[in-house]
Amino acid sequence: MAQDALIDTWGLSKRYAGNKAYSLRDLNLHVGGGEIYGFLGPNGAGKSTTIRLLMNFIQPTDGHANIMGKNVVKDSVTIKKSVGYLASDMAMYPKMTGAQFLDYMGQLQHNVDEEYKNQLIHLLQADPAQKLGNLSRGNKQKFAIIQAFMHKPQVLILDEPSSGLDPLMQEAFYKLLREAKERGAAIFMSSHVLSEVQKVCDRVGIIKNGKLVAERSIAELEKEAAHTFEVTFRESVPTKVLEKLKGVTVTPHDERRAAIRLDGELAPLLATLAKYDVVQMDVHQLDLEELFMHFYDDEEEQ
Amino acid sequence: MKPVIRWTLWQRRWSTFWWSLGVVALSGFTLAFYPTIKDQASQLNKSLGGLSGSAQSLFGGTDFFSPVGYLNSQLIYFTVPLILAILAIGLGTSLIGREESNGTLESLLARPVSRGKLTLAKAIAGVIIILIVSFVNLLVTVGLSKLVNLDVSSVYVAEACFACFMLVLTFGAVAFLLTSTGRGKVAALGISVVYGIGGYLISSLDSTVHWLTHVSPIFPYHYYQTADILRGTFRWGDIVFFTVFTLACGLLAYLAFRRRDIA
Repeated sequence: MAQDALIDTWGLSKRYAGNKAYSLRDLNLHVGGGEIYGFLGPNGAGKSTTIRLLMNFIQPTDGHANIMGKNVVKDSVTIKKSVGYLASDMAMYPKMTGAQFLDYMGQLQHNVDEEYKNQLIHLLQADPAQKLGNLSRGNKQKFAIIQAFMHKPQVLILDEPSSGLDPLMQEAFYKLLREAKERGAAIFMSSHVLSEVQKVCDRVGIIKNGKLVAERSIAELEKEAAHTFEVTFRESVPTKVLEKLKGVTVTPHDERRAAIRLDGELAPLLATLAKYDVVQMDVHQLDLEELFMHFYDDEEEQ
Repeated sequence: MKPVIRWTLWQRRWSTFWWSLGVVALSGFTLAFYPTIKDQASQLNKSLGGLSGSAQSLFGGTDFFSPVGYLNSQLIYFTVPLILAILAIGLGTSLIGREESNGTLESLLARPVSRGKLTLAKAIAGVIIILIVSFVNLLVTVGLSKLVNLDVSSVYVAEACFACFMLVLTFGAVAFLLTSTGRGKVAALGISVVYGIGGYLISSLDSTVHWLTHVSPIFPYHYYQTADILRGTFRWGDIVFFTVFTLACGLLAYLAFRRRDIA
């Protein structure tokens, strides 16, 4: 259950030097303790800019952000005692071994729980004796995850956290997320993997061209999601008749098969279908990916 | 702060070793020649006396083959500062610059470490590396000078090596400052080299090109008078200039790095 907000932004905006356009515009969001917030958007939408602003790597042009009630610019050092950060494709020191890297990060962090760190190494099956430069992307990502979680932070800021991990390690990572959530951490993660977001997040924000275009809880999204029916007719698809119904969109696959998407009352659709010789009808819930594309398509149309 | 210093030194341990070895080779090779030319010093000085004043001043004076002249013209006035300046400028551009271009700077700044402390830690690590290589140079120069009977006081040699260390710190500090402002590594490298080498040329030629006397005081090389130091005249004022210049660059580097966007 989400508690008071640990991450807050008010009108947070960023325009890079030499650019006329804002990379992030007027972002207002609030992430509570015990909540996993998924931040979605394609490349260049403003996800990484938001994360870099929260981490004080770049300075806001307008607005401000707080983590645990403290300003991310003025109180950056204090905040980072309680923040775990994982960059997308995190850069590491190739000549260091995994153990040396974790030691270095741990010495800078001060409050690392060594026992928990070893548990993480074991859980993710990381090999601390290997030089980081010799590791595959997925194996490097394990150390990136360990360094973000090893001090049991109250706030986790994760940019594409599971990229490069195999399915088993992804499950281990989701377990870590759930543990962090259970101990009350606020988790802000960007991801391209919509199935992952749907699986682990409580709430999602969709960002486009630097603006937050939608923000919903996963439960709300599921409720809102239109039903889609895969229908096979014995004869040709009555596209024109179906599209006269309110809230119906027809996408023909071939002459006899079509996907019928419904945003409204089910009864008129069923009554119309009953007049035709329907061979097969499958119902499936719209997934997050379709919904994501729906938001983007709607925005494009506007 | 200590972990940053320790790990930076650890990462650069081999390059520090190779730079030290290079300085040993350079000083050793140069001093090894001294016994073969010392008996002909007066004749060689006479033959080089035909060079113009400007050309002579580029080598640090008019005396090339006396014990002080040889040590100064062949090593301490130009060659050793040149080698150490390459090291210092390289460090200045890479201590923060390489971390930033590699992306590892984010890993450090994601920790509870202020940018000020990070800047200071990186600067201290750089100074320690230059100090190590300079100290190796001092040991080799003093030791080999004794071995080849180069009649110059070890104290004066140590003072000259110290002045050299302080001089190259200023070059490294300029590079560090420019990199900290977020300028590209290449720009920082170029400007630092032009400032260092340009300062050497201007300061060396100002005795013959008089209008340069108005310009040369802004360059650290103007305060690098090793011929005088090797003859027993050590000016603390010059060291104060190097120190203030280096600290000012460090302070400006901190102010520039404190609030700028990380690439």
